[in-house]
Amino acid sequence: MNENAPAVKPHHTVNYMSESQASESARPSETLAIEPEHHKRARTLIDIEHVDFFYGKSHALHDINLKIKEKLVTAFIGPSGCGKSTLLRCLNRMNDLIDGTRVANGAIKIHGVDIYNPDVDVIELRKRVGMVFQKSNPFPKSIYENIVYGLRLQGINNKSRLDEVVERSLRGAALWEEVRDRLHDSALGLSGGQQQRLCIARAIAVEPEIILMDEPCSALDPIATAKVEELIHELKKDYTIVIVTHNMQQAGRCSDMTAFFYLGKLIEFDATEKIFTNPSQKQTEDYITGRFG
Amino acid sequence: MHAPNNPFRKQVTANLRIEAGINWLLRLCAYAIVIAASIIFLTIFWKGSKALVQPTFPFINIGFLTERPETLHVLEKEGSPTLSMGDREFREFEKTHDISAYKKASYVYAAGGIFPNIVGTVLLVIGSMTIALVLGIFSAIYLSEYSRQGPFIHMVRLAILNLAGVPSIVFGLFGFGMFVLAFNWGVSLLAGWFTLAFMVLPVIITASEESLRAVPKGFREGSLALGATQWQTIRQNVLPYALPGILTSSILGIARVAGETAPIMFTAAFVMRDEMPWQVKHFTDFFFQGVMALPYHIYVVSSKIPQNEYTEKVQYGTAFVFLVVVIGIALASVMARIKMRNRYKW
Amino acid sequence: MNTPSSVHLAKLRETLLMMSSLADRNLNLALKSLVERDSKLAETVEAEDSQLDQLEVSVDEQVIAHMALHAPVATDCRFMLVASKISNNLERIGDQAVSIARRAKELNGEPLLKPLIDIPRMGDIALNMLRDSITSFVYGKPEITAEIIKRDKIVDEINRQLARELTSYMMEDPSTITRALNLLLVSRCLERVADHTKNIAEEVYYLYQAKDIRHATV
Repeated sequence: MNENAPAVKPHHTVNYMSESQASESARPSETLAIEPEHHKRARTLIDIEHVDFFYGKSHALHDINLKIKEKLVTAFIGPSGCGKSTLLRCLNRMNDLIDGTRVANGAIKIHGVDIYNPDVDVIELRKRVGMVFQKSNPFPKSIYENIVYGLRLQGINNKSRLDEVVERSLRGAALWEEVRDRLHDSALGLSGGQQQRLCIARAIAVEPEIILMDEPCSALDPIATAKVEELIHELKKDYTIVIVTHNMQQAGRCSDMTAFFYLGKLIEFDATEKIFTNPSQKQTEDYITGRFG
Repeated sequence: MHAPNNPFRKQVTANLRIEAGINWLLRLCAYAIVIAASIIFLTIFWKGSKALVQPTFPFINIGFLTERPETLHVLEKEGSPTLSMGDREFREFEKTHDISAYKKASYVYAAGGIFPNIVGTVLLVIGSMTIALVLGIFSAIYLSEYSRQGPFIHMVRLAILNLAGVPSIVFGLFGFGMFVLAFNWGVSLLAGWFTLAFMVLPVIITASEESLRAVPKGFREGSLALGATQWQTIRQNVLPYALPGILTSSILGIARVAGETAPIMFTAAFVMRDEMPWQVKHFTDFFFQGVMALPYHIYVVSSKIPQNEYTEKVQYGTAFVFLVVVIGIALASVMARIKMRNRYKW
Repeated sequence: MNTPSSVHLAKLRETLLMMSSLADRNLNLALKSLVERDSKLAETVEAEDSQLDQLEVSVDEQVIAHMALHAPVATDCRFMLVASKISNNLERIGDQAVSIARRAKELNGEPLLKPLIDIPRMGDIALNMLRDSITSFVYGKPEITAEIIKRDKIVDEINRQLARELTSYMMEDPSTITRALNLLLVSRCLERVADHTKNIAEEVYYLYQAKDIRHATV
């Protein structure tokens, strides 16, 4: 589209658009801006370089190379056991909790710092890289205590500070209006979708930079899923989000970049639109069209 | 109902007959247990109540619960009713009456009550359960949360399993050799506590591990992902939810600790002691005194002294009280569990 | 609602409106160049047709992307099909405008064969049909469709009359053949434009009423 195209003026008798609408629609370069351009401009935040990962003797990830951009939603898709969750859990070293796991080669760098370097403090890392799990896991405490859990761990007990964080986080997770009157009720009284949004609120309460989501909607009904997806869209403004999903449509709906994994290998990584309309790999196409096998 | 080609028509086949037979077999097995339990409990309650219940107010023989065991003296004289009295009463009687006119028979422990035994058993249970719970929960936390699963931990688990299979008399001998002789604690509460604690440790550890494992993984992951240390996670987000389960399972341990005779007969139990446990000169002496205990008392009165109608009353009465005490302690921990469970529900 | 999906759909609608606006303008300019005998306007039309072509491609890309990423259903699903077809029809209208502009350039080089009466009338009707069909799309007024279809028939009738009239001119004086043929072609182009707007109106009807009224009497 030619950027210098003359503005189209409404000059007809039947006015189907107001003047302002018409002039708005007459800025072709903006209306047609294709998102991937914007993606290329974004800064790389997480740099995964030649990563090999082992569960004991089984080789779970083979030579993964991936650059995750700042303030974009990156989706990991692929069949079960393809290593997408494993890679996600490498990003905040949750795999450390499982005996016999190790990153054998390569490096995962956040802001250029290798997070598997021995002098990286895992606790500090996990504060910066929040996580939301497949099964919503609110603690059996009040909604308020759930939100402030991370802050209390850091020794913050100032009531007014905590109140402020609770409101900010719940608003951030689009849950404030629904729970403001029952902050001190048990979090387990919330619906499934609300519980998952509470978990997101709990994660953003400690002000992370990156939020990892491990199939956050797999246990939710479509309405709750839509709400969480809308929330992801909102959170994108402030956070870098990496989401693992089994639901390809979800990756299509809410991600900017998509990585397709198969058998522990990264098959394709590109703008979501590209992956979903014209993937360059046959395997990717077979998977997203459901013709796998 | 008589459709000509009913494919679901009932037919008596061999399988059906076997099914019915198995059903009855299983049912009878279950009933047999109920019957056996009822016979045991009813016998104890019926015979025990003779010592404990009386026809006059206050209907319960308070003395049996509040007095010490005494020797029963039975005096018979031609033409006057048979007198039976406890040791102290008999000494008073001796001063005012001429007892040579009577035909006298004495039966040890057949009079008085079993108060020191109750106190001793309660002390033993509380002390040993405290030690066992602390040791057990901590080692369970290590085993299930901190340790890396490997051959060594496998061996530790095997050792715990084996410990559970060791007969209680062996624990008694171990406690005697270790605490009473080697540590030179003598026959004492402390030695009894530790011996009993070691005996129930396998139960507690296994139960605690089970309960810790029952806490959803999500609680741990959620907490760790928020930047908690492992201990913060366990203390705030695992242990509180595992405690009700741990307590439930330790009820089993309580019954065992309260009931075992063998471990304490060498380490903590006295046949007869005049002072009550709190009558000590210095508070440290409290830990180094032997106590009387219900199970050991039952053992003594039913196998170490001549049997007769008077001792039988005491035997069953003690057993009855013993059961009630154990049920009481178990009930208390059930209540504690319910209270905790209500606080932390997920 | 500010979901990625609704943002996408809004963008697609905007692109369609821009196309309609461009098609409308080009047609208008082409007619103007014919009526006012101004060949410069005709050149503008020719030059700007490529914008419409690009927009048509863009609409299809957006439609494919939206279907791939958002799996639209119900209205949204119909909108995908309809958007693609509307953009195609608009692009064809643009092509007809170019065709008219070319004829206009040729006609402008020669004296008028006769005063232009029918052609501006047809042009007006066709332009209004286009605007009305877009109105019905924007404001969700499928009921306008029937009326648009009726107007298409009027345009067809004028086209036939004009053809008869121009044929008689050609028979009387062969020197008028080139001009008469050009006028005939313009008339035919306008008849085609009316057809495309009718198609758009039918698609809009399908979009809002989920009922396909093509090839049927309403």
